[in-house]
Amino acid sequence: MEKLLNELSSECGSAYNVGSDIEINVEIPENLKRVSTLGLPSVAENDLFRHFTNLSRKNYALSTVFYPLGSCTMKYNPLINERIAKIKEFISIHPYQPSESIQGVLEVMYDLEKDLCEISGMDHFSLQPAAGAHGEFTGLLIIAKYFKSIKQKRTQIIVPDSAHGTNPASAALAGFEVVSLKSESDGGILPEKLKEILTPEVAAVMLTVPNTLGIFEKNILEIADMVHKNGSLLYYDGANLNAVMGITRPGDMGFDVMHINLHKTFSTPHGGGGPGAGPVGVKAFLEYFLPVPRIEKKKSKFVLNYKKHKSIGKIEAFFGNFQVLLRAYAYMKSLGGEGLKNVSQQAVLNANYMLSRFKGKIDIPAGNRCMHEFVLSPKSLLKNNLRTLDIAKRLLDYGYYAPTVYFPLTVEEAIMVEPTETESKETLDAFIDTVIKIIFEEMVQIPQKVKDAPVNTSVRRLNEIEAARKPILKWE
Amino acid sequence: MDYTQQNQKDKQKMLETIGINDVSELFDTIPENLKVRSINVSGGKTEQEVLDYFLNIASKNKVLISFRGAGIYDHYVPSLVDEIVGRSEFWTAYTPYQAEASQGTLQAIFEYQSLICALTGLDVANASLYDGATSTAEAALLAFRVSGKRKLLLSSALHPEYIQTLKTYLQNLKIEIIFIPLSADSSVEKGFVDSFNNDDVAAVIVQSPNYFGIIEDMKFISEFAKKQKSLFVAVVNPLSLGIFQSPGEYDADIAVGEGQVLGSCMSVGGATLGFMAVKKALEWKMPGRIVGQTVDKDGKRGFVLTLQSREQHIRRSKATSNICTNASLNALAGCVFLSGWGNNGFKNLAVINMSKARYAFNKIRFLEGFNTKFENQTFFNEFVIETKKDVKKINKVLLKNGILGPLDLSNVGNSFKNCLLFCVTEKRTKIEIDKLVELLAKI
Repeated sequence: MEKLLNELSSECGSAYNVGSDIEINVEIPENLKRVSTLGLPSVAENDLFRHFTNLSRKNYALSTVFYPLGSCTMKYNPLINERIAKIKEFISIHPYQPSESIQGVLEVMYDLEKDLCEISGMDHFSLQPAAGAHGEFTGLLIIAKYFKSIKQKRTQIIVPDSAHGTNPASAALAGFEVVSLKSESDGGILPEKLKEILTPEVAAVMLTVPNTLGIFEKNILEIADMVHKNGSLLYYDGANLNAVMGITRPGDMGFDVMHINLHKTFSTPHGGGGPGAGPVGVKAFLEYFLPVPRIEKKKSKFVLNYKKHKSIGKIEAFFGNFQVLLRAYAYMKSLGGEGLKNVSQQAVLNANYMLSRFKGKIDIPAGNRCMHEFVLSPKSLLKNNLRTLDIAKRLLDYGYYAPTVYFPLTVEEAIMVEPTETESKETLDAFIDTVIKIIFEEMVQIPQKVKDAPVNTSVRRLNEIEAARKPILKWE
Repeated sequence: MDYTQQNQKDKQKMLETIGINDVSELFDTIPENLKVRSINVSGGKTEQEVLDYFLNIASKNKVLISFRGAGIYDHYVPSLVDEIVGRSEFWTAYTPYQAEASQGTLQAIFEYQSLICALTGLDVANASLYDGATSTAEAALLAFRVSGKRKLLLSSALHPEYIQTLKTYLQNLKIEIIFIPLSADSSVEKGFVDSFNNDDVAAVIVQSPNYFGIIEDMKFISEFAKKQKSLFVAVVNPLSLGIFQSPGEYDADIAVGEGQVLGSCMSVGGATLGFMAVKKALEWKMPGRIVGQTVDKDGKRGFVLTLQSREQHIRRSKATSNICTNASLNALAGCVFLSGWGNNGFKNLAVINMSKARYAFNKIRFLEGFNTKFENQTFFNEFVIETKKDVKKINKVLLKNGILGPLDLSNVGNSFKNCLLFCVTEKRTKIEIDKLVELLAKI
């Protein structure tokens, strides 16, 4: 067990130091002075180094294991991107430097916007949103502002029940009422069903294409037409863009607003939960509403334009997660258009190969083909009181991070697998064999061992109920 | 280079297993008229070419000696922070959904939460939010959720971009924002506060040090908020808490702010770290992820994501926030940063910031054509100077000398015409400050 920092703390020393070449006394008025103890630990650098290094070794990560976490696109994070993200002339830059001293920064952002437009078929992008959900929220505010500008009162957003939880949460945050649309068994939308709830109150329909079951929305053109005829807008959740780059484009499908998760499709690291970036793209008629500042090119010089009176405003301070944007742009320059297309083809090939190998053994509610990910439902195979959760935990023992489980909510006992394009056939085969072994051999022959999993991790199964019942949220 | 792995032989085998002849068949469900032949994105470079390409672009940026703050600060980042944040086991992992295989990230977040609680003097911290501006907006939303009230009382000396972000977040929620005016010395106008009375105010939000660098009398404002039955939200610079009163000491309900100063580089303002800490009573209303301590089936200590029924993946449209991906890696930087100083070291770091800023202030205010904007204010590492000289020229001359000069405040309002916001951190040396003063004197 790794000690906590407060348990490591001693009077022996601290890791960092700071000195000053200026001798000057500062007086802090008594009423403003901190009197309570800071309560920070004091740990020597050597011990601190060991502490965090040891902690890191308790993580499964992309750099150590196959990480088929569905919907998260855990593809290889190229090291050249990290090297570029550490270039001093990028990271030691203050956001309020005059634009003539940050032409390189603005060039990266300007060109990245252009490339995202080309990939997605949208007309303009803003790079400001810090994550996918933040992008959704931004897109929905743009939609709200658009309807306000044309003096239409539309209060609802339609979200399929197979969508990510962020969709309805973002819509609510943007002040809309969420109308849930029941999806079909493959996660898709029936135009007839959509029609029933597509009232004049509807501002937008949010769709994930391919959907969270990994299926392309085959009626997309009909849906787009229907939505637009109703005067509503169509929102594209770009979480699954990795399936279709260079093959088809949301803008061409009829989407008006979208976001892209750069930390998924464009290989920037997930950082243990962030930071990410969620650029928002729009069709030309919505450009005025994008967050400020906009980056513009004037006679080969890049400038920041804050004077956009119809803009929704600022969605966070400064310009967005520049370091993340930089990595994504570096990735694009490594791959180019052809490389990006190959990425999607390979991602879809890998997923379909896995699916084909599971076919006939484990239920696949969405059918025999998929795009870049697929969902298994082992419900009918579960024996001896075992559940999908147990399969996930057992996979940890075999040195795999578990796929996403119990999502989408529309599939019982769901196991959602997204291999990505950066894994070898050998890796995929070994994983498939392991899943089959757990379900068809271990669950039958050694159910207790599956129930007791994991045993090879730094801790065994953790009591989550107790954690929520009596929350301990900091050092005691 | 696209990092895919399959050779032709493997590909062929995979196609056979699927039962198709060509990869293109996998895209049959996409209508033909929606397919594109290719996309025009330049690239396809080798690793070395990519590096050279970006080194060339980077050379169009100028690294300057910074005397500018206003939300992003040039502090020294200890080597250990970079080393740990650079460990791939941290940066290539994702949200710790499988707790048993994510104990490194989970314990680090738990330690981070503990450190933020220690620093702010509050009970519960979350795992991080995007940045200072959005965490301020989230604090306001929390207050509305808790109280059902529809008004917000906001200091006019809050960072302008935080105000703008807050307005963006609230634009469709039928919330009224009331601004607390500023006194002549650019802190919250106490007279206004004294006479203000409205029982529909969900939260009073005040930043300290405020946008102009001044330490506010937070205790006074906190007592006023209590009288109003409003929540008091303190927007704080965590580094300043080494020496100045903590939100816990003045009984704030929520503390939020920008944690970039805790071990993250400036990087043009992103990615940074939004932090939030609250009183115990508000923990179930808090946005974002929270890590809790528990035990495994052998009774051994371990960590899990907890209080999850607040979150979007479970509560969907009823969630306390839409946030999913946050700023975990910056929180890790904050954790490594905060754990290596000890109480005295951290306090000393804050004192040095303050004393270097005071040294610069004392020199600049007595230069001809420069004067202090406010007398007798306590500031941390930023201060405002009024000048009779041409502000644009000042910064042009400084830039020519490799210095990022003070921020021109003329956009803030008429009372800040010809005003300059300086920042001096521990990173600035006496030589650099003296050079700045010398250049200013010559203008």
